[in-house]
Amino acid sequence: MSISVRGITKRFGKFVALDNVSLEAQSGSLLALLGPSGCGKTTLLRIIAGLEVPDSGSVHHHEDEVTHASARDRNVGFVFQHFALFRHMTVFENVAFGLRVRSWQEQRISKRVQELLHLVRMEEIGWKYPSQLSGGQRQRVALIRALAPEPRVLLLDEPFSALDRKVRLELRGWLRRFHDELGVTSIFVTHDQEEAFDVADRVVVMNAGKIEQTGTPMEVFEHPANAFVLDFLGNVNVINVSVQNGKARLGAMEMNYPQYPHPDTRDAAVYLRTHELRIDRFSTGTSSLEARVLHVTPAGAVMKVRLRSDEFGLTLNVDVAATEFAELKLAAGDHVFVSPRSAGVIVSDYVI
Amino acid sequence: MGQATSPRISRQDPWYIRWTLTAAALSALMLLVVVPVVAVFVQAFADGMTSYWNNLFHDADTRHSILLTLAVAPTAVALNLVFGLAAAWAVSRFRFVGRAALLTLIDTPFAISPVVAGLLFVLIFGQRGYLGPWLRENGIHILFSPPGLVIATTFVTLPFIARELIPVMEAIGSDEELAAVSLGASGWQMFWKVTVPNIRWGLLYGVILCNARAMGEFGAVSVVSGHISGQTDTMPLRVEKAFQEFNLPGAFAVASVLTLLAVATLLLKVSIERKARRQIAEAKKMAEAAGAE
Repeated sequence: MSISVRGITKRFGKFVALDNVSLEAQSGSLLALLGPSGCGKTTLLRIIAGLEVPDSGSVHHHEDEVTHASARDRNVGFVFQHFALFRHMTVFENVAFGLRVRSWQEQRISKRVQELLHLVRMEEIGWKYPSQLSGGQRQRVALIRALAPEPRVLLLDEPFSALDRKVRLELRGWLRRFHDELGVTSIFVTHDQEEAFDVADRVVVMNAGKIEQTGTPMEVFEHPANAFVLDFLGNVNVINVSVQNGKARLGAMEMNYPQYPHPDTRDAAVYLRTHELRIDRFSTGTSSLEARVLHVTPAGAVMKVRLRSDEFGLTLNVDVAATEFAELKLAAGDHVFVSPRSAGVIVSDYVI
Repeated sequence: MGQATSPRISRQDPWYIRWTLTAAALSALMLLVVVPVVAVFVQAFADGMTSYWNNLFHDADTRHSILLTLAVAPTAVALNLVFGLAAAWAVSRFRFVGRAALLTLIDTPFAISPVVAGLLFVLIFGQRGYLGPWLRENGIHILFSPPGLVIATTFVTLPFIARELIPVMEAIGSDEELAAVSLGASGWQMFWKVTVPNIRWGLLYGVILCNARAMGEFGAVSVVSGHISGQTDTMPLRVEKAFQEFNLPGAFAVASVLTLLAVATLLLKVSIERKARRQIAEAKKMAEAAGAE
């Protein structure tokens, strides 16, 4: 079951939560809506579920328009951020709820619930109440409760945010495998880029009620469509430069900038990822900037180096591979030269 | 929190202060509560069991007043149940213009003297009131008849259920209700299977308080009833009338029934209060656990 959303706009008072948003999730895919809080991703998910009605635009399941259909008729499974388990019901009754309200027969209900409890290895604790479960267990119950009525679409709102880190990592992998086994079209909302990249087939990056970019995790990471995506994906340096004749310059540092071939000089901001800069002990030529090492922090396979260029009042973050670092032997206070590794440059939409 | 700090304070205070304070509190309680309550029963039974029984059930007017109260109070409670649920739902589930005004309005019956409330209804429904002529033309009786008693009682007890429910519903939140809807429940199914079980203790607590107040209501009811014996006298009005007529055993017999109802309410209240508190505490704990990350 593919899902598409066409030209959705939603306002809360004067606040525009969603501004003419369109997207499509292929049948059987796992899509992540990624963005900072308040970007409208949860509202979009609720509109797809039928828990919220858009001011304009339409929601389609396969070919059918369901914009004004009730949540019940849409047959959508929804997993809430804080699970929203029914506290006065046992695990069994929680999972059975969606079947009882659809008037399934008692025998079928029992069979279906047992089957789902077995799927998440919780057959033994069907009699417990939500308050007696761990966070991970609650998450699993929330998931199978949503799946019980055999929904055509599964929607998850920040499914891992209420769990501690260890459980979160475990469940992430589990959700991916679970999705592959069941093949239910799924959309999940997250503010954590790592989570989105790790789990999803496709990522939709949202900001301020609009979609900034859609693509596979690799596409989005390698080719961010604009400054927001680059910045949101983290670990980005912002460098104010002057541009002229297809070149961007800051002191001796020079980068290609084909978007601006004009001869008159103007100011712009350049965004460079932490791994797109390199550090050398000695000047390698024209295109480098003199800087001082502020401090070095080990972070797994890379060393995070913080540099300061006093001449331009600029602080830079650079990731150096461990092997490379061993050769450089950097320490705080060292004088080094920093240069861009690649010529590819993204420039902000605005002029400073 | 109180349990953790109070023993430490009591250990710091010298014994004579503790004894004096406790004795003062106990004697005030004895003088103001225990003695009068006991006195009511002593007076009621002064002429023996038979006389007590006759005073209650062989006096047609008294019998009628008991039945009237048992009809008016539950009707007022039922109306307030509907109003309280609707108000609590609106206030806890939606943010709208006039929400603060509604919260204040719910409390007005606490601030207005019941007698004034009764006069307001006379102003509206009386012969020369706003609706009086229209009511008379259509043959509808409100003042000096049971509908008037119900309206006055409902007004006076308006805040009880709403005020109990609002904090409970705020603490529990709407997540479970949305979950029920997303699982395919209709509005009614959601209400009966999810909302009501979650708020049941708070609801029952509010109903009990509301009922106690409704049965004992005197001021507003006194104004709108017209004091027609055997027709519009409720139990509290009956007590007053018997007392005015120097029928002390009769007055105390009815008063003893009202007191018994109050004691029963108190016991029920204590047993349910704990459960209602626990329900709110659990809701808060779950909300905190969920928001802790």
